[in-house]
Amino acid sequence: MNDAQAREDIRIIKDMLDRTRRATSESGTLFIVWGVLITLALLGTWVLGLLKAYRWEWAVWVGVTVIGWVYSAFYGYRQDRKAAVTTYTQIAARHLYIACGAGFLLVGIALPRLGAYSYEAISILVSVVAGILFFVMGGLYEWPLLRVFGLVWWAGALGLVLVKGNDRILLYAVLFIVAYLLPICILRAKHKREQTRK
Amino acid sequence: MTAETFEPLDPVIHSPLRLAVLSILLSAKQADFGFLKKATEATDGNLSTHLAKLEDAGYIRVKKSFLDKKPLTTCHLTEKGRAAFIRYVKALESYLPPGTKKD
Repeated sequence: MNDAQAREDIRIIKDMLDRTRRATSESGTLFIVWGVLITLALLGTWVLGLLKAYRWEWAVWVGVTVIGWVYSAFYGYRQDRKAAVTTYTQIAARHLYIACGAGFLLVGIALPRLGAYSYEAISILVSVVAGILFFVMGGLYEWPLLRVFGLVWWAGALGLVLVKGNDRILLYAVLFIVAYLLPICILRAKHKREQTRK
Repeated sequence: MTAETFEPLDPVIHSPLRLAVLSILLSAKQADFGFLKKATEATDGNLSTHLAKLEDAGYIRVKKSFLDKKPLTTCHLTEKGRAAFIRYVKALESYLPPGTKKD
């Protein structure tokens, strides 16, 4: 073994690690599904607000959460069956999804229903959990931009405190488009690029 | 650098294909035969031979099963394999000129 052969071995290691990473890049499918569901829930909440039927808001959120969880479980099972390779990053990401899903359920539905705080605080606390989701995902997939969107969610949570009433839903919708739908689009584009490089 | 400073390389890993397989399995909990074949660009026979050598050394665990009535071969890195791979990379560093080890 000489210097050149050692470098060739290191090149092989780096190349294989890179190929594995590219083969398992995040497609953003679950992000999209949850994005559509949350958009529908926001729309439902806004309509119920117009109709002054606030007491049914919880039903909208329980509905989208149950649909989201069932789809996520089905999607995870299907991915597991057809996955040619499973990385530790994917396993960590899956646990993060589950943890944040439980977090959304607790702060968005269970805790306010149990009287822990007012319904007005839901969007603020959901933004904090969303910030954690994006920030950690950015770390797992080594994508700094996703971490920036995590910071945007946290800044948004602070901004939501300053806005009251129905305007808070409006600001939340803007935050959702900027810090959720935008990164999803970028994530999808990045995934497609990674797949074509394979 | 003198010959005495070179660390001995594990002969089981010291082959481009076996090194490639272990590199993939280092970051993956599991990988199937098809993925390993595609990533390493090896032939079926060649890959099978090298996987058998790694399995005999106890560096990987090979599980054979069926998925939708098709045979599926899945490979996992063992703790022994992980330790051997780390030792191999450390040994490789001794072959590089000083100052280039962090490349």
